[in-house]
Amino acid sequence: MGDWNVKTFLRNNAVTLMFVLLCVVFTAYSGMSPAYVAFELISRIARNGFIVLALIIPIVAGMGINFAISIGAMAAQIGLLWVLEWRITGITGLVVAAGITVPLATLFGFLAGKLLNKMKGQEMIGSMILGFFANGVYQLLFLFIFGNVIPLNTPGLVIKGSTGVANTMNLSGPAQLLYALDGLLRVRFELPGSSPAASGGTAGQNTFILPLLPTFYVLAGLAAAAALSMYLKKRVSLTKFVVIMSAAVLAVVAVQFPAVQSVFSMLSLPVATFAVIAALCLLNVVLLRTRLGQQLRAVGQNRTVANASGINVDRTRIIAIIISTVLAGFGQLIFLQNIGNVLTYGAHEQVGLYAGAAILVGGASIARATNSQALLGCVLFHLLFIVAPPAANTLFGDPGIGEYFRVFVSYGVIALALVLHVWKGAKAKKVIRAAKGAQGI
Amino acid sequence: MRKVPMIKKIFLFLIAGVSLLLLIAGVAGVLLRGGEKARESLSALRLEATLRITGKGAMQAYVDAAKKEASDRARAEKKTMSELREAVSKAEQDALASMSFDDVDISMIDAAPVTRAIDSLIQARMAYVNEEAAAQQAYLAQLTPDPMESSPQEPLPDELGEGMIEDIQAQPADLTKKLEGFQPTAEMLRLQAEVDDRYAGLTQALSLVYPNLSGDVFAMFKPAITSLVYMYGDTYESAYDRMLTSGGGPGLSGLDALIARVIRNGDDLIYLAVSLVIVCMVVLYNKPLIKKLGPPRLIIGSFFVLLCLISLLFDMNLQALLSNTLVRVGMNGVLVLAMVPAIKCGISLNLGLPIGVIAGLLGGLLCIEYRLTGWVGFAFSIAVGSAIAALFGYLYGLLLNRLKGSEMAVTTYVGYSFVSLMCIAWLVLPFQSLELRWPMGGGLRNSLSTSTSFLRLLDNFLAFNVLGMKVPTGLLLFMGLCCYLVWLFFRSKTGSAMQAAGSNPRFAQAAGINVDRMRIIGTVLSTVLGAVGIIVYNQSFGFIQLYNAPRAMGFIAASAVLIGGASTSKAAISNVLIGSFLFFGVLTLGMPVANTLLPQSMISETIRILISNGIILYALTKSGGGTRG
Repeated sequence: MGDWNVKTFLRNNAVTLMFVLLCVVFTAYSGMSPAYVAFELISRIARNGFIVLALIIPIVAGMGINFAISIGAMAAQIGLLWVLEWRITGITGLVVAAGITVPLATLFGFLAGKLLNKMKGQEMIGSMILGFFANGVYQLLFLFIFGNVIPLNTPGLVIKGSTGVANTMNLSGPAQLLYALDGLLRVRFELPGSSPAASGGTAGQNTFILPLLPTFYVLAGLAAAAALSMYLKKRVSLTKFVVIMSAAVLAVVAVQFPAVQSVFSMLSLPVATFAVIAALCLLNVVLLRTRLGQQLRAVGQNRTVANASGINVDRTRIIAIIISTVLAGFGQLIFLQNIGNVLTYGAHEQVGLYAGAAILVGGASIARATNSQALLGCVLFHLLFIVAPPAANTLFGDPGIGEYFRVFVSYGVIALALVLHVWKGAKAKKVIRAAKGAQGI
Repeated sequence: MRKVPMIKKIFLFLIAGVSLLLLIAGVAGVLLRGGEKARESLSALRLEATLRITGKGAMQAYVDAAKKEASDRARAEKKTMSELREAVSKAEQDALASMSFDDVDISMIDAAPVTRAIDSLIQARMAYVNEEAAAQQAYLAQLTPDPMESSPQEPLPDELGEGMIEDIQAQPADLTKKLEGFQPTAEMLRLQAEVDDRYAGLTQALSLVYPNLSGDVFAMFKPAITSLVYMYGDTYESAYDRMLTSGGGPGLSGLDALIARVIRNGDDLIYLAVSLVIVCMVVLYNKPLIKKLGPPRLIIGSFFVLLCLISLLFDMNLQALLSNTLVRVGMNGVLVLAMVPAIKCGISLNLGLPIGVIAGLLGGLLCIEYRLTGWVGFAFSIAVGSAIAALFGYLYGLLLNRLKGSEMAVTTYVGYSFVSLMCIAWLVLPFQSLELRWPMGGGLRNSLSTSTSFLRLLDNFLAFNVLGMKVPTGLLLFMGLCCYLVWLFFRSKTGSAMQAAGSNPRFAQAAGINVDRMRIIGTVLSTVLGAVGIIVYNQSFGFIQLYNAPRAMGFIAASAVLIGGASTSKAAISNVLIGSFLFFGVLTLGMPVANTLLPQSMISETIRILISNGIILYALTKSGGGTRG
């Protein structure tokens, strides 16, 4: 990092930094307690994190943000519909729904990939329009096929007197799909100097209560030990080692203050969900190290070169879209089991937009994305979602402005990221051209 | 001459034969409508229907009598309430079983007097109904000079823009309201007495058939029967349908029934024949047609023809639907036209059209704010809207010049984020007029009526009726004018330079054309047309819609121009005209047809989503890719 300077850092991370600033200002003006913000944020990350991570593979393959992940979400909703119809409850139901999602999403992803191969260079607008188009097919399916041609018997799925599947499918109640994954294992924290009951903790089923301070010590110790061993094996640089060590120390120091401790008072970590998200992060890393991963990267960097080196470009791109679509289906299942009811005709519509905006906020571009960018983006984007309406209420006296503001931010950040990306590309070309000119070529 | 395969030949001959048969039958049917055969069949149906109605009454009377007898007897025997009820219901069942309605065999009755009585009733009824219609017409004519009464009653379109279709159905209710103060004339009363007289004759004839019917029952059936035999503006078709719904079906049998049905559906048979001929043509010439039109236009064109035929088959008012289509084409035409300069100057489909639309909306809002009305207001809105649009377009063009090659994705999101930014602006902009603001709280209303400014100014300018279709002359003229101006522009020096810059930027640059400048001019032109287009749209639609409404405009205009045959890099005025007609024709016809086929469904909306996005996807697949692999 020899040529690291403030200016390039600012330029390369403009979107993320702007977002951090916005989040800080809005959180300050929102008037919400840190404990509540943390509580909301954790549940939002748990339910949205997976689907944002599903965007990484197509970006690596050079196809930009796959806005057609809404197709995966549709596949997941078809799966859920049949799980509800067959009355399979709880985590079994969720697994069966995921089982239905896999072949459906594979098929849809295959078709989407085929189509996107015909519009190389225009994948983003193409996948966006494809998402709209698929929504039409989905409506056809849910309004005129399910419940009419293929009868549904479970009460509540079809409403008499109207055509098609009901507007909402309820996952709570007898379906027992609400928190099917989240509720498998939860962890709450016991603040020092208070009994579990006093911290608002009702130790429900599958909920474990850990003392806050010792947990922190153990985690910080583990991180430090891992960093040390990695450093000794020369797997990480000195800078990174120092950063991790100081972060661990800082965390241990910070958690001594009651103000910081209170942030954890309401938290209820859905450990199983986070484990699934972590597994996906791992999968992304491992996958990109395999042969297929190399091919994906090669195709993403330069299709012509990849083609010349014997990679089947079209096939690789289709695989990328299939993976992304299937993962998006799982992500939508995680999202819906947390929400508890499915807006049959709306739950999938904004999936691509919000996930795309989130990953861009984290500093990813439409050509490069990593797990950490996706997760950071998820945190920042959803933090803004939580604090924007109350902050707008304090600042302008109208919560409606906050509502519109966050929609504006979602679209605006995508527009900005696209503009910056194309801009950078044009500049790089200019630099190359100038260099060529200087050499007299 | 190409060689046609054998199977295709046989298929074609079969279809042609069937369509010829249908055509002959249909023409014969339509011609026979005024003839003797038609009158005979109708008269048989009418007799049957009349007898059915009275027959039902007769049976009811018989059953009632049996029930009364049973209850009297039970009461005389001092039975309990439940026993009494049981006895009555038993009597009812017995009565029903003993005298099944079908037992009244009409062929056994001497129907001649009844038929004669019905015929004379028809004469009287016809005279009365015609007199009534004439009198009501006169009454209405004397009402309308009062302008205060009629003008504020403009039917208001709903949020979704389907209002124009609704107001056709809204008219009858309107008419009844206006006729509230209507008093029957002396002539009408005289004719009514005549009708009463003839009805008495009919009752006499009928009482020969059903001896147990009392005068009360006949009095009860009077409105039903008099309106059964004749109604105002009765044609063979309407009379036939009415007889069938009143149970006159069995009045005809065998060949007679078939002939009656052919006469009734003569027009439908002709339509079917025509559609089969079209199918023949498409099968025979499919290859050259596909080459000439391209699959999307062929599919959507056939879909449009299909919708027309379905609406005819279901006896819908095709003229009204087509004139609605014309209005839709006119009101959206300029927006669609806005795609042409964008495509020609090389920025591809301008999915950021909402930027221009918002400029136009601002013009419209200022017009209402300053209370300008009529042509002045319209011209003001266009001038102000265009000025703002030119500014926006210039800035937007500067941005696009830095993003050569991936305009579409960027323009979409730039357009979207601008729409959401303006959502905030609509909440905070300092407009004063209460027509614009919510009376309580902040912000502008969601939809603002243009009834005080420039409602339907163009639509009604020089409008005339032809073949039952209302032609919005002014609207179409305005669209034509805009198309002509754009066409003229592309014939000018700047215009041809722009085309060159769009189709081959490098070559144009080498030829000394300032490509960036041309792209900016094209973007400005497109944005300005977007602003003008939305004002034309609003004056016809009746409302200015704010907030998220402009978001979809770019997609709608893009789909229309693509359906018209444009691609992402090529467009012409003809694409605009064909595309607008096909796209908005399918949308306008699709809704009522879908509602008839599948009531209460959203299928027309689903079809719109599929067509609109499908055509954009198709255009994108044609836009290249593939080769760059």
